[in-house]
Amino acid sequence: MSKILVVDDEEHIRLLYSEELKEAGYEVITAESGYKLLEKIEQEKPDLVVLDIKMVDYNGLDILQDIRNRFYDLPVILSTAYDTFKEDMKSIAADFYVVKSFDLTELKKKIAMALETRLPD
Amino acid sequence: MGFYLENPGQIADADIVIGIPTANEAANIQGTVARIDKGLADYFPGMRSAIINCDNHSADGTREAFFATPGKAAKLYIATEPGEGGKGANIQNFFEMAARLNPKALVVLEADIKNISPLWVRNLVTPILKGAGFVCPLYERHKYETFLSNSIIYPLFRCLYGRRVRQCNIGDYGFGPQMLQIYLNTPFRNRLVANSGIDIWMANTALVSRLPIVQAIMGAPKLHRIRGRFSDLPDLFAEAVATVFDLMGAYENYWLRVKWSKPTALSGTDLQEVETPFPPADVNPELLHEKFLEDFDKYYQLWERVYGPITARKLQEIRSIGFQHFSFPTQTWMSILFDSAVAYRGMPDADRTDLVKGLLPLYIGKVLSYVKKTWRMSLQQAEEFIENECMMFEENKPYIVKMWTKDERS
Repeated sequence: MSKILVVDDEEHIRLLYSEELKEAGYEVITAESGYKLLEKIEQEKPDLVVLDIKMVDYNGLDILQDIRNRFYDLPVILSTAYDTFKEDMKSIAADFYVVKSFDLTELKKKIAMALETRLPD
Repeated sequence: MGFYLENPGQIADADIVIGIPTANEAANIQGTVARIDKGLADYFPGMRSAIINCDNHSADGTREAFFATPGKAAKLYIATEPGEGGKGANIQNFFEMAARLNPKALVVLEADIKNISPLWVRNLVTPILKGAGFVCPLYERHKYETFLSNSIIYPLFRCLYGRRVRQCNIGDYGFGPQMLQIYLNTPFRNRLVANSGIDIWMANTALVSRLPIVQAIMGAPKLHRIRGRFSDLPDLFAEAVATVFDLMGAYENYWLRVKWSKPTALSGTDLQEVETPFPPADVNPELLHEKFLEDFDKYYQLWERVYGPITARKLQEIRSIGFQHFSFPTQTWMSILFDSAVAYRGMPDADRTDLVKGLLPLYIGKVLSYVKKTWRMSLQQAEEFIENECMMFEENKPYIVKMWTKDERS
């Protein structure tokens, strides 16, 4: 079972994503901020991270660079309420992005694609 | 391969080695060397650095201008044998010379960059010192500046090799000692790789190396002499496309196993965008349309034979649309590229040349279609347009895998 880490400072989003993704067959863990996130990734070893871009204390795009530098091929899907983040070149280090919605069809599709991605060892 | 060497400082070791390939660049090399030297001194003051001018035996005083540039880094000059030309020959000499110096990081920068910044040296070297295998720059580009990359190299490389590297054929790179050994030990080199195909070969070889790749944000466009006007286009196009197709054969064991694609890490994310104007994008849609139509009848039979009657009919439809509503569907372009690669693989050299020549008018049609669709778009919107096209290539990868392995299965 693939393990997904959902990072979002809004509790209702963490709850929604957790329930829906568990129902879709994933193991889900959550974090409410970028605080000690790299350590959490190190310990929990998720297969994929769903990362909010705008959190109160943290910029998701900066966290994305840290993740990419330390866990080069860990899939990261950016989750955002606005698509203006695409003006920032840092966003291209993400595997995919989704616009936040109560319908998680797109998120589930992107998660499946990211987990299916295969490069020769 | 032998080369002429001048090493006045008798340098035997260097931590950072920067190569500048040249062919008659006396007018440009001093500014480039001075800024590279400043970048090395400012950002890597404790490291031993060397700049190597890898020259095509220039007769215009490139060597003298290189050595006359003041600076702190050691300077070495190497040159191809008289009569031997091409950027690829210079780069291969660079590999061999650099390997003798046991470097921790290597960079290749073109000599004619007018706005090179010392920061660029930092951005290309730092990721290598932190463990990356290959660094590809990400220059600011005008939406109509890199058609070959936008329409062929980026979508194909991304879908085939599974890594999203946006400016694979840009001509400037950083790489580490492991990558250097791979370059030295990779047997696949042909006449194209000895010339301008070297840029694609270096990036492609890095893509299959399994070493971490980083894209370095440079914060500015690359202002240099631009090849790719119509007079240069047939040669430039043929060299690039043939190199891509040749390498598909060489690296089939890798790309046949790739599914979807992954991003790379970035460096230079702290760079603020600098105020360097974009070079003028010299695009004339009417002329593109004229060029698309010009050779249509000449190559139609070839297209019908290689791409089949359904695609040929589609091409007739595209021709009949006329300029005002002209559109070259991505699906059609993609299947043409895939079918071309498969056909190229099984052809003798003379037929390959014709195939690539015949692909040029279709490429021009695809460029025109992109120009018309993105005319009112911002750079970011145009980038999204290209990203969507890349997704179509990735979604349709099973088609090329099937066509490529068809003969093996039957």
